[in-house]
Amino acid sequence: MGRSVQRVEDPQLLTGQGRFLDDITLPGMLHAVFVRSPVAHAHISSIDTSEALAVDGVIAVYTAKDLDWLAPMVSTGPMREDVLTQSRTVLATDVVRHIGEPIAVVIARSPYLAEDGRDLVDIEWEQRTPVLDPLAALEPDSPLVDEALGTNNVCHAEQSAGDPEAAFAEAEHVTSIKFCSGRSTAAPIEGRGVIAEYEDRAGGRYTMYSSTQMPHLLRMLMAPVLGVPEGRLTIKAPDVGGAFGLKCTVFPEDIVIPAAARLCGRPVKWVEDRWEDLAAGVHSKGMVCTMEIAAKADGTMTAFRGHFISDAGAYSSIPFSPLVDSQVAGAYLSSCYGVQNVAYTIDNPLTNKCQIGAVRGVGWVPGQLAREVAIEQLARELGKDSVELRLQNIISPEVYRTPLGQTYDGGSYAAALEQARDSVGYAEFRERQAKAREEGRYLGVGFSPFVEPTGWGTTSASVGGMTTPFYDMASVTIEPDGSVTVTTGLHSHGQGHETTLAQVTADHLGVSMDSVRVTFGDTDSSAFGMGTYSSRSAVLGFGSIKESAGQVRNRLVRLAAQMMEADEGDIELVEGVASVKGVPGRSVPIQQIAGFGYFGAEARPEDVQRDGLTATAGYDPGETYANGCAAAIVEVDVRTGLVTIEQLVAVEDCGVVLNPVIVKGQVAGALANGIGVALLEDLVYEDTGEFISGSLMHYLYPSTTEVPDLTMHQIETPSAVSAGGVKGVGEAGTISAPAAIVNAIGDALSPFGIVIEKTPVTPDYLRQRLRDADHGPVSEARIEKG
Amino acid sequence: MKPATFDYFRPDSVTEAVEALSTNPDSKVLAGGQSLVPMMNMRLAGPSALVDIGRIEELHGIAANGSLRVGAATRQADVMDHATVVRGWPMIGAALKEVGHPAIRARGTFGGNIAHGDPGSELPAVMLALDATFVIEGPSGTRSMVADGFFLGHYTTALDEDELLVRVDIPDQATSHWGFVEIDRRHGDYALAGAAVRLDVDAAGHVSDARVALFGVASRPLRSAAAEQVLAGTRPRDAGVADEAGRVALEGVDVAADSFVSAAYRREATATVVERALLDIEPTEGA
Amino acid sequence: MEIRQGNIAVEITVNGDLRTGIAEPRMLLSDFLRHELGLTGTHVGCEQGVCGACTVLIDGVPARACLTFAVQVEGRRIDTVEGMAEPGQLSDIQQAYHEEHGLQCGFCTPGFLTSTEALLRENPDPTEEQIREYLSGNVCRCTGYQGIVAAVQRAARVRKAVSHDA
Repeated sequence: MGRSVQRVEDPQLLTGQGRFLDDITLPGMLHAVFVRSPVAHAHISSIDTSEALAVDGVIAVYTAKDLDWLAPMVSTGPMREDVLTQSRTVLATDVVRHIGEPIAVVIARSPYLAEDGRDLVDIEWEQRTPVLDPLAALEPDSPLVDEALGTNNVCHAEQSAGDPEAAFAEAEHVTSIKFCSGRSTAAPIEGRGVIAEYEDRAGGRYTMYSSTQMPHLLRMLMAPVLGVPEGRLTIKAPDVGGAFGLKCTVFPEDIVIPAAARLCGRPVKWVEDRWEDLAAGVHSKGMVCTMEIAAKADGTMTAFRGHFISDAGAYSSIPFSPLVDSQVAGAYLSSCYGVQNVAYTIDNPLTNKCQIGAVRGVGWVPGQLAREVAIEQLARELGKDSVELRLQNIISPEVYRTPLGQTYDGGSYAAALEQARDSVGYAEFRERQAKAREEGRYLGVGFSPFVEPTGWGTTSASVGGMTTPFYDMASVTIEPDGSVTVTTGLHSHGQGHETTLAQVTADHLGVSMDSVRVTFGDTDSSAFGMGTYSSRSAVLGFGSIKESAGQVRNRLVRLAAQMMEADEGDIELVEGVASVKGVPGRSVPIQQIAGFGYFGAEARPEDVQRDGLTATAGYDPGETYANGCAAAIVEVDVRTGLVTIEQLVAVEDCGVVLNPVIVKGQVAGALANGIGVALLEDLVYEDTGEFISGSLMHYLYPSTTEVPDLTMHQIETPSAVSAGGVKGVGEAGTISAPAAIVNAIGDALSPFGIVIEKTPVTPDYLRQRLRDADHGPVSEARIEKG
Repeated sequence: MKPATFDYFRPDSVTEAVEALSTNPDSKVLAGGQSLVPMMNMRLAGPSALVDIGRIEELHGIAANGSLRVGAATRQADVMDHATVVRGWPMIGAALKEVGHPAIRARGTFGGNIAHGDPGSELPAVMLALDATFVIEGPSGTRSMVADGFFLGHYTTALDEDELLVRVDIPDQATSHWGFVEIDRRHGDYALAGAAVRLDVDAAGHVSDARVALFGVASRPLRSAAAEQVLAGTRPRDAGVADEAGRVALEGVDVAADSFVSAAYRREATATVVERALLDIEPTEGA
Repeated sequence: MEIRQGNIAVEITVNGDLRTGIAEPRMLLSDFLRHELGLTGTHVGCEQGVCGACTVLIDGVPARACLTFAVQVEGRRIDTVEGMAEPGQLSDIQQAYHEEHGLQCGFCTPGFLTSTEALLRENPDPTEEQIREYLSGNVCRCTGYQGIVAAVQRAARVRKAVSHDA
């Protein structure tokens, strides 16, 4: 471990031999296309499918009526009594609640023909007033998105610690900001997709290929809707072309496709198109935040108070609900600061938009933005250096209990900020900035230290208010020839588990990495697990493999001792060879140990006779938190409102590193996502409810020209809690980068007294703020004169 | 996201192409397809027939003899990298660099970009600035038309449905000066606002002829009479000239808002690009 | 004048082999390669011409397979990711992506590889800025482009060294 081993996944992906969902063709397979709502909120008066059915090649068109044998999909959310449960049918029955909601599915011989059929399905509507503004949705007289709930608010919750009210009352200074976090999404280059078939054997069973991050959890949540025992639903995740949280949601399409396969008696494939991805997958981070800080005049922060209103969309997403944004924005409010008086409120109003679900960084991103932008503003108001102010309030590296109840497992909170500060050349920057301003150029620097909950398990979820038990297993088998097979319920879609988990296994067993194969993604053959998301897999994979491989290693050592008539304590197992310490030449290769383990009959130890050379073990870590700091230097063109990122620095402390190259890759990718969140990505609904971001011409990804060469530093503070001292790393860059960039923009524009109050920070928004600040359209010449 | 069905025609000559267009109502010309096919995939366009002009020899090629002649089906990448174009018509190369990305320019055609009439696209404005002439073939023969008056509105040009743009002629620019600036969210995106400026300057450095073309600001690319008037007879780098030209550039123009920016933004941005394009122009003798 | 209506046989040269499939005029080259010819290495990410995942070489120049109809390229030469190296081998570019961690999920990768091939043919010694500019029409959601840019630089270095040796 700790070595930059090149990935074993690469060769097939590099040669076009990967096997992604749309690469799979089953015999007799048909193709599905969904008929979706083009309106935000309407009552369906009638659906006429006759013209569609008349298209040569269209086999069937199913509506909710045809699927009335399915159970409803029921939102679960965290297991909390204060979160309302919402129920929906997989296809809309009488009401559509957002643009893109599936109403019918057309099954045809090709996707082209299915689209021909889709265009001929005739639906009549009675339009209803759409609920679009999350604040208005909370008003008692607001129209309801889902009348069955009796309210739009899926969850109102409050939590506080210490005495925030007194702290604010006594504060020498109070800073208060509003921050509106835009809607963005994962938009992986491979969208969602499902292939399903139904066989009428063994009482009826479904096999489904799904581009998912969580095969077992998906099965667990789908089976009751399909009305089959889990054992009669097999889910296989092939290569997955990016997921970023999106693919750990259970979607109506996941149910409709197997149901359609059953009805038409043929395998059915559905591959999402880009409009569907943008309009009807999940949206993320759309949140209205209020953040207040109480402080002493010397810069000591005494209390935080936040209100986080998630613009939740039409349905409470399964399994995480909109609390995946609002709750976590609130629960980790104190972050790396030693503030003892903390209070937050969350609200989760439904709106007639796409549902809010998990996407990389989740609600930590708006939470981080609101807090770090407010701290920047506090420093400005107090006339203090914001880095100094942060350092003045930052917690020490030891294990720390936050007022809201999390226990950090140690971190480099101050050191990370200091390293980021030095990496951007902060000491010299102010001079450069002043000189640039004289030339009419506006440079700014921004910082964003963070704490990221990782290794998501039962305890960490619970102290974050996302209460759910977790269960994750790994199974390690020494095959008869001495090679090693590992199965896990985690899933890999770019993270390189086949490599890192093989590294981990090889190191724990004392075998060569080449002899280890890691498999996952098939509920029939993989060990049970809750899947990969929430930066959990390094921690969970390490812990579960450490335990299971440890048990197998123990058996190997005893077998080797027996074979060489040596003491167990003297056996060394290195690179697949067991030898006796201090006795050169006395060794047996693992092939022979395995052979003995399988076929050594009664000569073997009793537990090997009973359990063989397979061990399965679970791991549920305590709380573990990565930390670090992002810093950005930007230039703002005040005449056009365009922002250029000159430098983006990430200092990452994810504990003990398993594979440095893969960690760097995770950080870099997350930073690029953060650039998108800060500057580009925006899912926009017009005031009429119309959705205008349904193409990649409107939803803007950062490309090679918007992402600068990234500067990445590593600090290693081993976790005091997790196995091996490992912490997760997947989301840090996305959590931290947006606030660093936004703060840098604010710093650049500080001569105009502008506080940035939204993401993405678009040219239009910046010009509007500059206009409001009386910085009209000045000429180049006037800027040059300063 | 799959196109609706259509019939496919691949003529070998301009005459055959015009015939195919005029005998198939609701047909469209398929040139590079880089704008048309996304619209078809999203089923925002559904022509009954496509007339693929990609293999008509006479529509390809670049020739210069005083003026520059570009065959309409010449790939944008070939024009951009062409030594003659780079030397004699550098504004065209500068503008094409902003058209999409290499894979788009490798397929997209010079004439297709112009005939598509996208108000946010670069080439139409450059054609206005450089006073290009379009050679058009239709059922009743050949006609020529200058760029002024060709662009009528959103995706609408003076081309009739059964007409084909066959060649673009661009006058010699040897004694002219040029500036080209656009604002876009990302490299290769359509412009939030852009300006293509061509100036002729007399011996004393005064502007004798100014053409200021704007794109990405209204329903069509257009010339700014007001900005051109401001520039006439001035020395463009004299204090206040570029500033003033930018400020008046949109006088009388109905400015478009879209999902990215407000009309107010576009007004400011247009002033900025006009001013910057003028200030980008290399100072000349006497200027 | 060639006229195509309904399902017809389309013949193209793919990675050096003459291949035939059945296509309506409306069938996109991306679908034709993937589902008619079984060459699933070319991926489809948007069908809007933006993401670049489907980039192939048509007569040696990069093109979006999702914005090209199969009938348009009858008789033309198409190169896809599957043809970049002999079976079991990696080309210099593929090897460089491997060594520089220029891929994670691997879905956008075929388009980056074909674009990189086109770039290095046009410009064997690109600067970082030229690399970023050339690849700006390919989107990757995983890597932040850090490993991709490094991979292109490495491939250029390797190619240069090999051509010097030759």
